[in-house]
Amino acid sequence: MTALLQTLYTYSQITPEGIIDRYPNSYNHFVLPFVIGISFIMVYLLIGLIRILYHLTAEDRKRLFISLFTPKTALKNIKDIFCDCLLHTKIWKRKPLLGYMHSAIAFGWFMLIVLGHIEVALFAPRHLDSVADGALYYPIFYRFFIWMSPEHETLRGSLFFFLMDFFLLYVLSGIALAMYKRVRSIALGMRHTTKPSLADRVALYCLWAIFPLRLLAEGFTADLSGGSFLTKPLNMLFRNFFGNELNFLPTWWLYSICLGLFFLAMPFSRYMHILTEPLLIVMRNAGLKVRKPRKGFAEAEIYACSSCGLCLDACPMNTQKKNLKYSSVYFIRFLRRHNEKKINEIADKCLMCGKCYALCPVGVNSPDIRRAQRETLNHKLSFDFTPMDNFRLKENSEESAEIMYFAGCMSHLTPKIIKSVTSVLESAGKKFIFADREGGICCGRPMLLAGRTEAAKELISKNKKMIMESGCKILLLSCPICYKVFKDDYDLKGIRVLHYTQYLNELIEKGELKVSKGSSSMVYHDPCELGRGCGVYEEPRNVLRSIGELKKAEKERDESICCGGSLGSLTLDNKDRGKIAESSINNLTAENPQSIVTACPLCYRSFREKSPIPVKDFAEVVCENIKSN
Amino acid sequence: MKNNILIIGGGPAGLEASSILVKMGYNVILVEKEKELGGHLAKWDTLFPDGLKAEDLLKSLIKKTEGVKCFTDTQVQSVNILDKSYNVILSNGITVLADALLLATGFDLFKAEKKEEYGYGIYEGVITNADLEQFFKGKFSIKKPKAVGFVHCVGSRDEKACNPACSKVCCATAVKQACHIKETFEEADVFCFYMDLRMFGRHYEDLYLKAQKMGIRFIRGRVSEVAETSEGRLLVKAEDTLSSKPIKVTLDTLVLMAGMRPSESGYMVGHQLNLSVEEDGFFSTKDTMLSLQKSNLEGLFFAGAATGPKTLPDTLHEARSAAMEIDNYLTKK
Repeated sequence: MTALLQTLYTYSQITPEGIIDRYPNSYNHFVLPFVIGISFIMVYLLIGLIRILYHLTAEDRKRLFISLFTPKTALKNIKDIFCDCLLHTKIWKRKPLLGYMHSAIAFGWFMLIVLGHIEVALFAPRHLDSVADGALYYPIFYRFFIWMSPEHETLRGSLFFFLMDFFLLYVLSGIALAMYKRVRSIALGMRHTTKPSLADRVALYCLWAIFPLRLLAEGFTADLSGGSFLTKPLNMLFRNFFGNELNFLPTWWLYSICLGLFFLAMPFSRYMHILTEPLLIVMRNAGLKVRKPRKGFAEAEIYACSSCGLCLDACPMNTQKKNLKYSSVYFIRFLRRHNEKKINEIADKCLMCGKCYALCPVGVNSPDIRRAQRETLNHKLSFDFTPMDNFRLKENSEESAEIMYFAGCMSHLTPKIIKSVTSVLESAGKKFIFADREGGICCGRPMLLAGRTEAAKELISKNKKMIMESGCKILLLSCPICYKVFKDDYDLKGIRVLHYTQYLNELIEKGELKVSKGSSSMVYHDPCELGRGCGVYEEPRNVLRSIGELKKAEKERDESICCGGSLGSLTLDNKDRGKIAESSINNLTAENPQSIVTACPLCYRSFREKSPIPVKDFAEVVCENIKSN
Repeated sequence: MKNNILIIGGGPAGLEASSILVKMGYNVILVEKEKELGGHLAKWDTLFPDGLKAEDLLKSLIKKTEGVKCFTDTQVQSVNILDKSYNVILSNGITVLADALLLATGFDLFKAEKKEEYGYGIYEGVITNADLEQFFKGKFSIKKPKAVGFVHCVGSRDEKACNPACSKVCCATAVKQACHIKETFEEADVFCFYMDLRMFGRHYEDLYLKAQKMGIRFIRGRVSEVAETSEGRLLVKAEDTLSSKPIKVTLDTLVLMAGMRPSESGYMVGHQLNLSVEEDGFFSTKDTMLSLQKSNLEGLFFAGAATGPKTLPDTLHEARSAAMEIDNYLTKK
């Protein structure tokens, strides 16, 4: 390996024939704007990186460090950086044209930089050696500084000329789409786009200008430094217009100024994500979590937000235009600007349905940052849970059962669900302990969502004690809100935590519960906490397919629309919630099903208020279709 | 020539207005969607505050309507506004050209199954105020209870049930029914879960006092949810806001005091006429003080609970003033 590198290096030290530096010390004043810009951004990045690392807890720092040297995560890092930052595969999957636009600019630009450096390494290697030789700017403005004798054009050289022109064209096509998107975003699949700030505008216009200017600049010098299918014809065209004396310095100046300005505006604009996204990927793959809303890992998330606005269309609140301001993109923008008043208002309004996170091309976990933001205010609120000390599991004295059913507060508000679950269990001949038949302790998830972590911990420890003492093997839940917290935050060793959709699916697959297939059609609504929250999409659909005809919603699975009843929002009023429920129902009834089936007591309640067709609970549907032996 | 007046709704308001108008010499047509006249009154057993038999009141109301053309089991199919009259097509095929229209479409009871946490339609022991009246009339059966609870404000004063307004009559009805239950089942414990008791009318406070003397327990606080115990009884969770403590009571029967919502069939008529409704869903009157019986349409009047929850005496008053307004309108014309 080292031998190979050695040969490559010595080989690259030989300057090929016919390539001459046009400027003896390889310097011209026009490179200054670019040099200032790039130096500024590098210093800014370095300071930012130190700041973020400084604010991480020692444990997190250690974890990050170890992950960098763990082959598995290191490989994943490389793969993720390549797919997410350069190719933008996530956007490709949902919106191909938008994906093409992003990857054209990102991957194309990346290739121009890489190829530019390889070119210099091959043909003028001494300029990469030190900053004094122009390593900072030389590969960028390579075409300006060299003169290539036309007689010495090699195949390898032409290949590079071709590649450079090809990728420049690739980037230009992306830029053209970006310009079109500014005028008509819906053409690229976006109904709403973000309002750009001043720095955004400066950076945006510079970005638009950089590549056409590069084309012009390289076109002007193509007869001296070589070119390919784009730059050569352009050069000839210029000659036809301007004669043989081409005054090419102004375009190179402009090109350099635009690059410099872009880098200067970058830290204050959305384009910072180009540089910070790799950091976020590395930190996320290391398993770091948001601890404070503005520091450490959260800061990496905030700066990685590309402000693309995909979360605007994703947010269920945005059926009403007045709610656009509560979207994640603006939340993060205000966080970045430390606008405390607005941050808190937005943080409290969110339904925490997680759709913005699921659709975010960068993967910014804004619901988690909102939760952390709520914590800053709400953790001070006092709580008194002493009445809970009197709580005892009543049915414990009876014979011990394998299954413990925990209905939770929300199922208790919808007794039909409880009735259905218990009767399905009975028909399957399963014995179970009904943990909170006559009242129980809240699972703690609503407290967690409200940012009252300490209070939640208290509830969690009380419930955990009760569950561990019961001796059950399976904890069965009919509420996705409970399910998520029992699965993620309880650490119940030796106990399987199952949502009833999963458990009933298991029973049916094992043949312990038999259902009959009817002809009625239904659509399944993915509750936020169950779908996006816990990744349970298949099991309920599996069961419903064996019961009736399962129709599709317009948007489903991780794109499903919140019912509006979420406990996550602390301030959203009933009217707004009603509007969300209506839009969610419209989405579900796209194929005219006979009923809506959901697997969450909250969705069930919100839909029943507004739905023109019957709304049923998952267990209710199963219960209605049990085949009696 | 006698003017035609069409009255939609054969409840107390419609009956009272029609009897007065017919005496004034108008040609009165009364349309009722049910088979029997009387509206909710026909389904009630006794009336607060003094326990008057609903049946007796209804009988005397109907007795006065001699000369009124009554169409029961009939609905309004379509209404058209003509120049100075209304063209109404009824479901029995008759077309009426009415010079004045009186909407006495009343109210529907809030559908208690919508508050699913109270378990109406799910637990056997949970019934509504209307069911209990049927029981008193001997047309509905409940098991002999050891403990009975009344939940006030079901579907009223409840943002989540989309009705922040008070239904006005449920408090007095609940206290009346609680007394009645205590008289029927002397051994039973009776609880009333209320937010605040709105005993505003004459003699209502006496009724409340009587209830307290009978040993009915009033608990200030809302019921949060109802569960079933392993023995099949009802476990009611509520908050006692006077002692600031959550409480649990085990009951056999729970009566939900379903509030008043705008009547659906009234809404259908109003919709055809483009009548505006207020946020509570009831029709809006021409103003809020002087013209409570008038609508924004010439020749269209209201009486009773079509414009919001009302007690029976209020409804009857409104019927009389509506009759007078209609007479004024037709004489001027």
